Amino acid sequence: MNIYLPIAEMSVNVFVLFGMGAGVGFLSGMFGVGGGFLMTPLLIFYNIPPAVAVATEANQIVASSFSGALAHYRRATLDIKLGFMLLIGGIAGSALGVAIFSSLREAGQLDLIISILYVVFLGTIGSLMVVESLNAIRKNRGQADAPPPEVPSQQSWIAALPFKMRFHRSQLYLSVIPVLALGMLVGILASIMGVGGGFIMVPAMIYLLRVPTNVVIGTSLFQIMFVTAFTTVAQSAANQTVDIVLALILMVGGVIGAQFGAQAGQKLRGEQLRALLGLIVLAVCIRLGWDLVNTPTELFSIGVGGH
Amino acid sequence: MRYLITLATFFALTFASFAAATDGADVQIGLSSETVEITSNFDGTDIVIFGSIEGGNRELLEAGGYDIVVVLFGPKEEVVVRRKERRLGIWVNGEAMRFSDVPSSYSVATTKALHEIADDDSIGILQLGLDNINVVTEEDGGVGEDLEVFRDSLARLKVRQNLFLERIGGVEFLSPTLFKAKLAVPANVPIGKHTAHAFLFKQGKFLNAKFQEMTVKKIGFEQFTYDLAHKNSLLYGFLAVFVAIATGWLASVVFGKD
Repeated sequence: MNIYLPIAEMSVNVFVLFGMGAGVGFLSGMFGVGGGFLMTPLLIFYNIPPAVAVATEANQIVASSFSGALAHYRRATLDIKLGFMLLIGGIAGSALGVAIFSSLREAGQLDLIISILYVVFLGTIGSLMVVESLNAIRKNRGQADAPPPEVPSQQSWIAALPFKMRFHRSQLYLSVIPVLALGMLVGILASIMGVGGGFIMVPAMIYLLRVPTNVVIGTSLFQIMFVTAFTTVAQSAANQTVDIVLALILMVGGVIGAQFGAQAGQKLRGEQLRALLGLIVLAVCIRLGWDLVNTPTELFSIGVGGH
Repeated sequence: MRYLITLATFFALTFASFAAATDGADVQIGLSSETVEITSNFDGTDIVIFGSIEGGNRELLEAGGYDIVVVLFGPKEEVVVRRKERRLGIWVNGEAMRFSDVPSSYSVATTKALHEIADDDSIGILQLGLDNINVVTEEDGGVGEDLEVFRDSLARLKVRQNLFLERIGGVEFLSPTLFKAKLAVPANVPIGKHTAHAFLFKQGKFLNAKFQEMTVKKIGFEQFTYDLAHKNSLLYGFLAVFVAIATGWLASVVFGKD
């Protein structure tokens, strides 16, 4: 059954999109990741214009992060004050990102930059995941109870920064500079790549800011929800590229898929799961990278100029 | 002097309807529908143009001496054509050329091949066929032969997007005087005013043309969404966020464990 997308101005198969939403939702439920970094490339492979794919995906992430953030709020596993500081950086980053997005689009280089960013990020993260999970699998075979990894104390250069602030929930006394900077980086990525940015924020919060692991996920979801909500509004206002019909199909597919994914994830071993996700991420990276270097069959492209 | 002759030819062709009075042949057209409405399940459609040749020479009509070219023009737009080039091993958009007054869609149907209907000059002046669509470049001069390359690419890409279409023999005579042409309206048809033109030729000579407007518009939910997104984009953004939060909340109610 085909449905007409009012903003993308194209007719698409509703079952294919629903299946994509459910498939990525399944993976994100299984692995506990947002899924934006898989969904946006898939939409581009399905010929949705990259500008629409990125902006619409930000809208979808609002839905998936809202239910997650709400659950963490109820369980009190989120540091609102830390989340709020990350959010201030995030909104600044998102506003900057949307401005960059508009000017790249004008210059005709938006699709290229989106692809390059994806190749770099997916390549790095995919490789790290595969290497890390293979090491874990090998270690498990060697000895049953490996000693828990040491958590080193806060990085000295971060501890030396000024403008310190106390975060009670996280039991941290921390400079706001790295917090704002991290929030800002994630905000830029949200608006240019259409991702939540959890894949950067979670490791950075654990390893750089030393935020206790029990509040990391809730706090990052809190920030992601508000930053993607702001990005959705900003993209709508600046570029008119949020397709609400496309977003709704993906949201519904996504939340349903995530439920089954979460159940499946409990039955599988963590390391094997991470290795599998790493391989999927690398496959998407290779496909995008190939399109960049392979001689295209059509050298020309057209766009509607000016309004 | 030569310029004047060309100009005179142009006027002679354009206002040939005056001359047509002496010949007596005239063309009339009607569209199967004057509006195309885009709804949520819109996947392209066909538009049928009916027409008749009135007051033509009976013998000539029966012998097939008259030819018809039907064209459906979409609203004019400005288009940027970009060419990729390899830089540092990566294919990036390089040279770009801007064209204005490009018909956003162009569909033509004829009784036979254009060069058999009339000579190249008449066909060119009337802008019939994909090779003769008149587009204006905004860069003035200095582009030389590249202009042709970019112009051809524009047409080729539009053809690939199903927006430019040529159907030789797409005009069908139902009787010596009645004809119909079926033109495809693709799923990605541009919104706005389209015009259908019918050109009447008699033994290689252009006689007369008629045109009729057709509106392509989104209706109902599609129109509401599109208008809101473009005219009230801030409100649209808040609505999109609201829909997302409602969906996320609903999911936590339906599936939530705590």
